[in-house]
Amino acid sequence: MKVCCLPGPGAVAILIGVFVIAWAAPITAWSKAFVEPPIFAERVAAGSLPPVEQRLPEVPSVAVLNKPGLALGRHGGQLRMLMGRAKDIRMMVVYGYARLVGFDNDFNLVADILESYEVEDGRIFTFHLRKGHKWSDGHPFTVEDFRYYWEDFANDKEMSKSGPPKVMRVDGKPPKFEVIDDTTVRYTWENKNPYFLPALAGASPLYIYRPAHYLKQFHKRYADAEELEKKVQELKQRNWVALHFYHGRQYKSNNPDLPSLQPWINTTRPPSDRFVFVRNPFFHRVDANGLQLPYIDEAVMTIASAKLVPAKAGSGEADLQARSLEFKNYTFLKRGEERNNFEVRRWFSAKGAQVALFPNLNVKDPEWRKLFRNTDFRRALSLAIHRHEINQVIYFGLAREGNNTVLPQSPLYKEEYVTKWAQFDLAKANEILDGLGLTERSDLDVRLLPDGRPMEIVVETAGESTDQTDVLELIHDSWLKAGIKLFTKPLQREVFRNRIFAGSTQISVWSGIENAVPSAELTPAELAPTEQGQLQWPKWGQYYETGGTAGEPIDMPLPERLLELNEAWINAVDTEEKAKIWHEMLGIHADQVFTIGLIAAVPQPVVVANNLRNVPKRGLYNWNPGAHFGIHRPDTFWFETK
Amino acid sequence: MSDKLAHFVSDAPFDPYTIETLTPEQERVYMASRWLMMWWKFKLHKLAVVSGIVLLASYFCIIFVEVFAPYNLHTRNTDYLFAPPQSVHLIHEGEFIGPFVYPLKFKLNLDTLKREYSDDADNPQPIRFFCSGDEYEFWGLVSGSFHIMCPPKDGKMFLLGTDRLGRDMVSRLLYGGRISLTVGLLGITISFILGITVGGMAGYFGGWVDNTVQRVIEILRSLPELPLWMALSAALPVNWSPVYVYLGITIILGLLDWPGLARAVRSKLLALREEDYVTAARLMGAPPSRIIGAHLLPNFMSHLIASASLSIPSMILGETALSFLGLGLRPPVTSWGVLLAEAQNIEAVALYPWLMLPMLPVVIVVLAFNFLGDGLRDAADPYD
Amino acid sequence: MLHYVIRRVVIMCLTLVVVSALVFIVIQLPPGDYLTTYIAELESQGEAVNLEKIEFLRRQYGLDLPLYQQYFVWISGWVHGDLGYSFEYSLPVTEVVGDRLYLSMVLNFSTVIFVYLVAFPIGVYSATHQYSWGDHGLTFLGLLGLATPNFLLALVLLYLANIYFGTSIGGLMDPEFIDQPWTWAKALSILEHLWVPVVVIGTAGTAGMIRRLRANLLDEMQKQYVVTGRSKGLSEGRLLVKYPLRMSLNPFIADIGSLLPQIVSGSVIVSAVMSLPTTGPMLLSALQSQDTYLAGSFLMFLATLTVFGMFVSDLLLAVLDPRIRLDGGVRR
Repeated sequence: MKVCCLPGPGAVAILIGVFVIAWAAPITAWSKAFVEPPIFAERVAAGSLPPVEQRLPEVPSVAVLNKPGLALGRHGGQLRMLMGRAKDIRMMVVYGYARLVGFDNDFNLVADILESYEVEDGRIFTFHLRKGHKWSDGHPFTVEDFRYYWEDFANDKEMSKSGPPKVMRVDGKPPKFEVIDDTTVRYTWENKNPYFLPALAGASPLYIYRPAHYLKQFHKRYADAEELEKKVQELKQRNWVALHFYHGRQYKSNNPDLPSLQPWINTTRPPSDRFVFVRNPFFHRVDANGLQLPYIDEAVMTIASAKLVPAKAGSGEADLQARSLEFKNYTFLKRGEERNNFEVRRWFSAKGAQVALFPNLNVKDPEWRKLFRNTDFRRALSLAIHRHEINQVIYFGLAREGNNTVLPQSPLYKEEYVTKWAQFDLAKANEILDGLGLTERSDLDVRLLPDGRPMEIVVETAGESTDQTDVLELIHDSWLKAGIKLFTKPLQREVFRNRIFAGSTQISVWSGIENAVPSAELTPAELAPTEQGQLQWPKWGQYYETGGTAGEPIDMPLPERLLELNEAWINAVDTEEKAKIWHEMLGIHADQVFTIGLIAAVPQPVVVANNLRNVPKRGLYNWNPGAHFGIHRPDTFWFETK
Repeated sequence: MSDKLAHFVSDAPFDPYTIETLTPEQERVYMASRWLMMWWKFKLHKLAVVSGIVLLASYFCIIFVEVFAPYNLHTRNTDYLFAPPQSVHLIHEGEFIGPFVYPLKFKLNLDTLKREYSDDADNPQPIRFFCSGDEYEFWGLVSGSFHIMCPPKDGKMFLLGTDRLGRDMVSRLLYGGRISLTVGLLGITISFILGITVGGMAGYFGGWVDNTVQRVIEILRSLPELPLWMALSAALPVNWSPVYVYLGITIILGLLDWPGLARAVRSKLLALREEDYVTAARLMGAPPSRIIGAHLLPNFMSHLIASASLSIPSMILGETALSFLGLGLRPPVTSWGVLLAEAQNIEAVALYPWLMLPMLPVVIVVLAFNFLGDGLRDAADPYD
Repeated sequence: MLHYVIRRVVIMCLTLVVVSALVFIVIQLPPGDYLTTYIAELESQGEAVNLEKIEFLRRQYGLDLPLYQQYFVWISGWVHGDLGYSFEYSLPVTEVVGDRLYLSMVLNFSTVIFVYLVAFPIGVYSATHQYSWGDHGLTFLGLLGLATPNFLLALVLLYLANIYFGTSIGGLMDPEFIDQPWTWAKALSILEHLWVPVVVIGTAGTAGMIRRLRANLLDEMQKQYVVTGRSKGLSEGRLLVKYPLRMSLNPFIADIGSLLPQIVSGSVIVSAVMSLPTTGPMLLSALQSQDTYLAGSFLMFLATLTVFGMFVSDLLLAVLDPRIRLDGGVRR
C-alpha cells in the first residue's frame, strides 16, 4: 500500500521504538534490578538461598496492573483467611492461581507459568516453558516434569487404570506427546480439543506435570524396591500407588514437602486447625518495579466451623474473606466494619441463577412427564412466579430477576434471554393452563390432572440453604393462585441427587448455570444434555457421559438440537461461528424454559481489611472461570502500612 | 420394797377406745387412700404445684392454638420483615384507650441493607378481642376464623416481632408448641410400653431372662446417643410426609429412652416379688401378666409417673437437638426445635434477638416438667 | 471378689464386641458411603468430579468390598493398634485423634470439676432446707442449665464474650497460639476461652447431680442413726458431715461411670457449634461424611469408656460401701 505523506525518519524511528517497547514491555523488567523480599535477606546473606536474580526464570512473568485503582506495592504482611474445613486449604491453589495458562480478569486466556504457547488448528498445542524456572525447592522445572506425568503417571497401567483424564481425550483417543526440546512440549490430537486450555486454566486445574525429582522416590520404576516397600509399610498405605498419591496431591496442599509452583506454600502438616503458607522463593512472577511476587509474605488459613465464619469475619479475624459468607450476613458484617478495620464489599455471583427450578424431563410418572415436556406448561409455571417479590423480600431488590441465562457482563448477553417468559402474569398463566385442558378443579381449588389427581408438585431441595426454602415459600403462594399446589421436601444431598437421577423427583431446586459470563470461546456444554448432573435431564446427560452405556437417549427434538449445536461448536472454525452457535442455544433455552430461573447476580459480601490493597472494589465471584479470587491475582495484593 | 413398781403394771381399768382416740384430723390421715396422701405430700412442694398448673395451661393452649394465635401459621407480611416486637400501650397522649399498638413505619437502609423500623406515634390502633381474623383449619378439619385476640383492623400486631419472611413470632411459637409438646407424650408412651414390658419380665422372672435383658440394656447404654440419632433419622424413608417423619422421630426418641425405665422397673420388681401377696396370687393361679399388671405395678406407679415426667423434657430437648442437626423436623414444619435451628446464626444473636425467643418456652416447659417430676417423686412414697 | 472381677471383664469384652458390630452398622445406615458424600459435596460447590479418580479412590479405601469384610478389616486392625484410616484427613485415625483427644480431656475434666463444685453445695443446701424458697431457687438455677438448649446458648455467650471481653469467637485459644509451644500467654488464652464451653456443658450436668445428691441425702437423713445422733446432742452441722454426707457421696463415685461419657458426648454438639479443636466436631463431621473408620474407632473408644467406667464405678462402690460388699445387695 502506497503511503502518502510519509512521516519523517525521526517519527518512524519513534514509532518503531514505541512498537518495540510495547511488544517487549513484558521483558523490560530485565533492565531493572530485581528486588529481594526482605524476609529472605538473611538467608541470602548466609548463602543458604540463592539471590533473587538466580531464583527467577530468565524471563519472569510481569504482573500487569492495568485496571483503575491498582497500584504497585511493597513486600510484607500476613494475610489471614478462614476456612470451614481442613480440606479447604486446597483453596490456596485456587487463590494462588499459578497456572500453565490462566484467565486474566477480562476472561482471556494468557500464558502464566508458560512463557508462551501456540495452538494450531485447535488440535496441536505447543507449550514453551520459561528457561530457568524452578520448583519451590530450587530444583529446575523442566520438560522432564511433563514427561514424567505423561509416561509414568497418566499412561502407567497401575497408576491410571483408565489412562489419561477424559478432558485429554478426543473421541476417546489420547494425544501424541512429544518433547521438542529443553523447554518445549507438544500435544497433538487428531481432532479439535477446545476443552484442553480451559481445563488447564480451571480453578481446580488439570495438572499435566508433576515434580518428577521428588516423586520418583515413590514410583516403582525409579525407586529401590525394598526402600519403597518400607515406605509403604511405614505410612500404612495399601501399595506404592497409594503411597505416590499420598505424597503427590498438588491440589490438596497437604504435603509440605511436595515442591510447588504456587505463590504460597503450605508449611503445616495436617492435622491442624491453622495452616501457615509462606512465600515461594522461586515464584516466577515479578511486578513492574522488579519486586518478586507475591507481595504478601505469609498467608494463614484458620479452620473454623462454616457457621461461625460470618461471626469471626465480622469481628475482624480475617483480612480477606468471601468463602462461607452469604448475602444475609451482610448487615452483621457491616456493623463490625468500624470497630474491626475492614470493609465489606459487594461483589456479585456470576451464576446464571442463584436459585432455579428444574422440572425433570425424565420423571417416571407418565402424566407429569407429559406435562413437563409440554413447553407451554413450563412457560405457565414460569409466568406464575412473582420474581419481583422474591427479589424484594430476600435480596432487598439488589438481585436481577429473570431467566437462568448469561449475565450482562458476557458479550453474548441479550435482554430477551433474561425476560422472555419471565414476567409475572397470572392471567396469562391461568389462560395457558386452561388451554391445556387442565380446567377441572378440586374442592380446594387446585387443578386436576387428566387422570383425576390434584396437581400437587413436590419440589425437592438439598435442605442446606434457607434461601431456597424461603423462595419456595413465596412461590407456593403465587402458584396456588394458578391452581397448582407446591410442597417442599428437604432431603440429604446425596438422596436428593440420586432421586433426581432415578427419575423419582418432579421438580428440584438448585443454582443455575455455573458460568454465566462466557465468551464465545468457552464451551456451551452446560446448555446441552451432556452431564448427569444437569438436573432437568439427568438421564440424557448420563447417556452422553457414559457414551451410551447408561441413561436414556434423547427423545425430544430441541434438546437433540442443543446436543448437535454443542458438537458443532467443538468443530467450529472461528469465533463468529462459535458466537452464532451460542446465540442459537441461548435462544432455545429462553424460548423453551427448560430451567426456570428466578434471580441472579446476588451480591456476594467480601470482607477486605482496610489496609489491603489491589483487591477489586466490585468483582465477579465465580468458580470457573474466576477461581473466586484467582483471576484477580492475590499475589499482587499488598498491605499498606503507614 | 414389796409392791411391784407401779409404772410397769397398772391395775387401773383400761378401755382402749378412750385412751387413744384419734382426732378427726388424724382419723382423716389414717383413713385416707393412698392417692389422697400422695396429693397432700405433693402440695407441700409448692414449685411442683406451680409447674403443674403451668403445664396444664400449656397443654390446654395447644388444643386451641388456632384460636389463641393472632395469625395463621403461614401468613406472611412482605412489608414487615424482621420487625422488632411491638409494645402494647394503654395510654395515648394522656388518655386511656385500652390496649393498642402503634403502627410500624419502615425505611430501607441500602447502605447496611437493614430495615429500620420506628413507631408511628400518632396513630394508635386498638387491639381487637374475640374477633374474626385469619382463617384457619382447626386441627386440619374444620375451618374457622374466630380468634381470642386479633390484630387491629387494617393494622399489624407483632407482639414478639417477625422473622425473615414477615411471619408473626407469637403465632409461630404457639403452633410450634403443638408439635414440640406432643412429641414428648408420644415418645413417652412408646418408652413406657417397652420399658414396663421388658423390665417387668426381667424383674419378675429373673434368671436367664434377667441376664439377657441386663446385657441388652448395657449394650444399648454404651451405644453413644448422637450417632444413633443420626443414623436412625437418616434411615427414615424420604418419601414420608412430614407427619410420618414426625411420628418416626418420636418413635426413635422413645426407643432410645426405654432402657433407663426398664432398669428402674426391674430393680423394683426384684425387690417386690418376694412379698407375700405375690406368693398368694401365684398360689391362687394368677398368670404372671396379671401378677405384674394388677399387683406389682400399681405399687410403684408413682415412681413410673415421676420418671416419665422426667423423661419428657429430655425428649423435648432431643427434638430440638435433632432439628438443630438438621435431622429432625425441618421447615416448613414448625416446632420449637425448628425455630431455634433457624435462629442459630449470628444475625439472630446480634441483630434480631427476638428470634431466639423460642428458648423461653422450652426452658419453662422443661423446668416445669422437672419440678413436677421432683414433686411427684417426693410424693411417691407417702408412707415415708 | 476375683471371681466377680473376672466374670465382669469377660462380659465386658463380649459387650464391646457386640457394640462394635452395632456401631459399624449404625454408621453405615445412611445411604451411600464416604465417596458418594464427597462427590455430592464437590458437585454442589461447582467443582468438577473426576469419575475415574473416584473409582480409584473407592478401590484404595476398600469401599468396594462387601460390608462384613470392611468390618473385619477394621476389627483385625485393632489387634496391632491400627484404628483404621480416615478418608477425610487421609491419615491414620490415631494421628487425627491424637491432639484433639488431649484437649478434649482438658475440657471435660474442667467441666466435671465445675459440675461437682456447683452441684455439691446446691444439693446439700436443698436437702437440708427442703421445700424452702432457697431450695426451690437454687434447684431452679441448677436446672436452668439443663433446660436451655445448649447450642443457642453457646452462640449467645460467644458473641457476648466477644463484645464485652474481646475474646475471639470460637476455638479454645486465640488463633496465633494454635500449634505453638506452651507459654503463659497461651495458657491464659485457653482459660479465657474455656469458661464458655465449660459453663454451657457443665450446667446441663449439674441438674442430674443435684437431684441425685438431694434425693440420697434426704433418704439418709430419715434414717435412725441420724435421729440418734441428733438426740445425743450433735449439732446439725457436725451431724450432717459426719454421717449422711459420706453415704450420699455414693452418687458422685457411682456416677463417674456415666458422667464422663455423658459429658464427652454431650459436649459434641456444643463443641461443634463453638468450633473447638476437640473430638466433638471431628466426630460430628466424620458421621456426616461417613468417614467410617474414624467415626467407628472413636465411637468404640467412647463405648469402651462407658463400659469400663460402669465397671470401675461398680468396683469402687463395692470398695467404698461395706454394705454392698458384705451384702451383695441390690441397692440401686
